[in-house]
Amino acid sequence: MRGTNAALGVAGLAGFLALAEAVPRLGLVDDDYLPPAGRIAVALGDEAADPAFWTALGDTLTGWALGLALASGAGIVLGVVLSVVPYLRQATASTVEFLRPIPSVALIPLAVLLYGSELRSVLLLVVYASFWQVLIQVLYGVQDVDPVAEETARSYGLGPWARIRYVLWPTALPYVMTGVRLAAAVALILAVTAELVIGAPGLGQRIGVAQTSQAVPEMYALIVVTGLLGLVINVGARAVERRALAWHQSVRGEVTV
Amino acid sequence: MRRLSAGLTAGALLLVATACGSSGDEPSKGGGSSGGVTTVKVGLIPIVDVAPLYLGQKKGFFEKQGLELEFTTAQGGAAIVPGVASGQFQFGFSNVTSLMVAQSNGVPVRAVANGIASTGKEGEDFGALMVKKGSPLTSPKELEGRKVAINTLKNINETAVRASVRDAGGDPDEVEFVELPFDQMPAALDKGQIDAAMVVEPATATIRNQDGVEIASPLVDVAPDLTVALYFTSARYADRNPEIVKKFQKATAQSLAYADAHPDEAREIITTYTKIPADVLAKVTLPKWPAEANRSSIMALMKLGQSDGLFKNPPDLDELLP
Repeated sequence: MRGTNAALGVAGLAGFLALAEAVPRLGLVDDDYLPPAGRIAVALGDEAADPAFWTALGDTLTGWALGLALASGAGIVLGVVLSVVPYLRQATASTVEFLRPIPSVALIPLAVLLYGSELRSVLLLVVYASFWQVLIQVLYGVQDVDPVAEETARSYGLGPWARIRYVLWPTALPYVMTGVRLAAAVALILAVTAELVIGAPGLGQRIGVAQTSQAVPEMYALIVVTGLLGLVINVGARAVERRALAWHQSVRGEVTV
Repeated sequence: MRRLSAGLTAGALLLVATACGSSGDEPSKGGGSSGGVTTVKVGLIPIVDVAPLYLGQKKGFFEKQGLELEFTTAQGGAAIVPGVASGQFQFGFSNVTSLMVAQSNGVPVRAVANGIASTGKEGEDFGALMVKKGSPLTSPKELEGRKVAINTLKNINETAVRASVRDAGGDPDEVEFVELPFDQMPAALDKGQIDAAMVVEPATATIRNQDGVEIASPLVDVAPDLTVALYFTSARYADRNPEIVKKFQKATAQSLAYADAHPDEAREIITTYTKIPADVLAKVTLPKWPAEANRSSIMALMKLGQSDGLFKNPPDLDELLP
């Protein structure tokens, strides 16, 4: 089953590459603006030989990882606190709904004003965008706690901390994992966007320089890198999810009697 | 155990990311002064125009003044003007009209040194109004009712194109201006989505490579030897650090003169901070880099801008210019 999936995945990718090679070669689009896959691959090789590229990759990953860690931590803690204290949840519900749809990129002038073009301005955007993904999932997850289990725990005299540990957390964990996985993708997008627009060091900034320089194959090569990065991050997040939730029904499947 | 290993994986990933993430090629210097050298951050767009600063830094002109430049590149004024106004960058690079607009909106910016000037030669400028190969359009006058791409509406390039249309006997109000980034103009022109494009290098060279035709040099039409862009700082920084501003002015003037006299070295340094392909770079028309701004040309630009309705309040050139 796994083998078939991998084979299909490779076949899909090969098909896509063939298409990307053929479309410009057949003249369907001008190869000055969308070079064939082969030329992008050459540019990608040139990039990989440049130490500055690896520094940029490291910068992007730093912004992504730190931003995601901050957003996940804050989202989980705040989500649990808000759900455990019902008054707080009601008091903040409308504020959350007001803040959540604000696009992170709209905060770019604010980020530049506060932090210039440093890592911190990237973090501001990344954390703002990915925090909500985690928070909302945590809120849903906590809501999903079985009231009977909760009452049972109470009647057995479990304290608040123990109830969070043994009842609330296991119920919420699958939601948290979904939230973090979504946040991981959003964080990457925002990290690259922030670098592109603000000019903080990283892959985004290199894309911007290539774009203004009319270096089209290099630009697509860097875009391919961000795509690959997204792929790796998604695969990684799924692996972490599977391991952390190995005990959960959704992962281990129905028990066959 | 499993959860532990997942945690460890995540932690290791973080460590790796942080370890290879330090972006500075030199050890961190922070913003202040150390050992007689003051580090100043300069916000720039990574384009041909700012080559003199990179060259001056390399040649040690700034070091001689006790300055060390730390370059920050952004895609446009959107990040640079607020960055300078808030003191995140000490200096920035911007076109003259943007600075006048900022000032008329109450943003306290002050120009400190010349940036670039047009070459002043019709048909041989870095900025050009171009049409594609085989286009029936031959004069800016014929742009009435046509689509013309401008990188930013209500800014220096629109003012300049309107001047060209007016000079050719046309009515600029009849021209349909559309906003498009410079780097997308060659493709849009080629596809026929626009009838003409106001481009600057390296897009000008790209369109020339495609046998595009120049029908006007709008920056030349505004004024002879038009000052197009300036280096600037915030009024607050200028008031508090007059010494540093003076040093920056001296070193920048020297860098501009040097770059103007050594175009080959300027072209060479461009390859270090842009990715302009070698064949395009060889054909790029460099701007002029006079050491002093041309005040009368800026006056002309301001008057045109005023009649185009760019400014809320008339800009105060005595306050703005060095």
